[in-house]
Amino acid sequence: MQDLSGRVAWHYFATVEAMTMSTATTGQAYNYKVVRQFIVATIVWGVVGMAMGVWIASQLVWPEMNLDLPWTTFGRLRPLHTSLVIFGFAGSAQFAASYYAVQRTCQVRLFSDKLAAFTFWGWQSVIVVMLVSLPLGYTTTKEYAEIEFTGAVWMTVVWVAYAIVFFTTVVQRKTKHIYVGNWFFGAFIVVIAMLHVVNHLSIPVDWFKSYPVYAGATDAMVQWWYGHNAVGFFLTTGFLGMMYYFVPKQVNRPVYSYRLSIVHFWALITLYIWAGPHHLHYTALPDWAQSLGMAMSLILLAPSWGGMINGMMTLSGAWHKLRTDPILRFLVLSLAFYGMSTFEGPMMAIKTVNALSHYTDWTIGHVHAGALGWVAMITFGAVYHMVPKVFGREQMHSTPLINTHFWLATIGTVLYIASMWVNGITQGLMWRAINDDGTLTYSFVEALQASHPGFVVRFVGGVFFLSGMLLMAYNVWRTVRVADVAMAEREAQIA
Amino acid sequence: MFELMMNGVAVIALWLAVEYCLKRQTAQSLEDASLIPFADDPEVARRVEMATGLKVKAVAPEEAKPGWINLDI
Repeated sequence: MQDLSGRVAWHYFATVEAMTMSTATTGQAYNYKVVRQFIVATIVWGVVGMAMGVWIASQLVWPEMNLDLPWTTFGRLRPLHTSLVIFGFAGSAQFAASYYAVQRTCQVRLFSDKLAAFTFWGWQSVIVVMLVSLPLGYTTTKEYAEIEFTGAVWMTVVWVAYAIVFFTTVVQRKTKHIYVGNWFFGAFIVVIAMLHVVNHLSIPVDWFKSYPVYAGATDAMVQWWYGHNAVGFFLTTGFLGMMYYFVPKQVNRPVYSYRLSIVHFWALITLYIWAGPHHLHYTALPDWAQSLGMAMSLILLAPSWGGMINGMMTLSGAWHKLRTDPILRFLVLSLAFYGMSTFEGPMMAIKTVNALSHYTDWTIGHVHAGALGWVAMITFGAVYHMVPKVFGREQMHSTPLINTHFWLATIGTVLYIASMWVNGITQGLMWRAINDDGTLTYSFVEALQASHPGFVVRFVGGVFFLSGMLLMAYNVWRTVRVADVAMAEREAQIA
Repeated sequence: MFELMMNGVAVIALWLAVEYCLKRQTAQSLEDASLIPFADDPEVARRVEMATGLKVKAVAPEEAKPGWINLDI
């Protein structure tokens, strides 16, 4: 049995190696090797990062799961979970999708195979740095930017290489027009570089410790300017680029309105960058800045829904395909969750609503409506679309497994966000309840006890979602194991 | 007052950017642009043409040149 599994593993690696070798050396039309690598990385980091999420969710249900070890406490594993799913899973997915789409929409091979390979190995090394340093307690303490100075500098080098590969490919394009999906990918690359560099400006005292150049409320404002736009550009703009390529391709219809997609692009990038202060309502941040953040967040609803409607309406005349195509179901459901969370976000940015919701589990639920419902779902759709093409198969190993994954992911997401809504509103109301004599009606621990059932449901939702991710990993493994090198080469030629 | 000015500048910048992007575009050129995802995929392009009645200018991309840099010099 062990021998059989060993032979299967050898066959898998031999196939992948044969494909990556041949693609890199025969001068084909497209560089699919780096796309394949990033797809595999997306799945690996997706499994690890989501498993980490389920583990920390279990810690909130059963505190014993902290294991009484400093490296496995919630405080250290939570930033590891967010880093792995954002930079490992979502980041690798965007590398894969942008490299795939930019080549095909520009009808030109990716600029420089070696630099593209550098971005893959460089990016994986960044994730490994996070995987090692965060449990050891090395952290800037800035949310979504916890990687310490040395790692942050290395991350910048890799990102600049990514920008060179992407934009030089666009410059070398054979098409006259730059397809709108590439505008979104381009904005994602440029703005993330700016946010990362500005937020990480700090004075290093040794290899793994640095202090930010900002202080007090300025530091908080810079952090949340970064933090909100990490959501806005890392988890939205790049994925909109993905949406503008993969939804039309999967439906076999052009995007509903190309004119609207241009308005969507400019409106989104003009407005998103101003919305950060809504994370600092009722703090030391000047009141005008808080109001500006709230106003911009409300206006942001318009381009967000413009994009969502543009994606949804692409299915005009093709809605029947949802009955038989689970990949399309992933893509459309992701747009539905995008619409839902981009409505919820501006509502939560209203100061009076925020007075109830801030610091509660409602925020966690909102983030996961976007992260699970939008980011992960559209990634699943895009990966299921790309895997057969770049690994030389007609289709995925099992369509029923994709369908099962779809329902596991949907149920998991709904359980997660519904439990966090209930918890958030419960916590907000209990924290603000005051007796006639002005004392607090409930202690913090009483609110925590009231949250326990919600923590259990959230854990169950996470298990559902992770199970779906494992099914996907199995389905991809089975598809890749029998990959057809000749077919993959043909796909890369005329695609 | 400052906030109003900033908001005004943002709206004007948005309007100028959109106008600049669309000023040389015609209905035909926008339609062609929307069909780019299918243009390198003759088989899918045929399906899109059958479903929508639109004409997709599908072509297979050129072979890449060997070497570290593929720039035409």
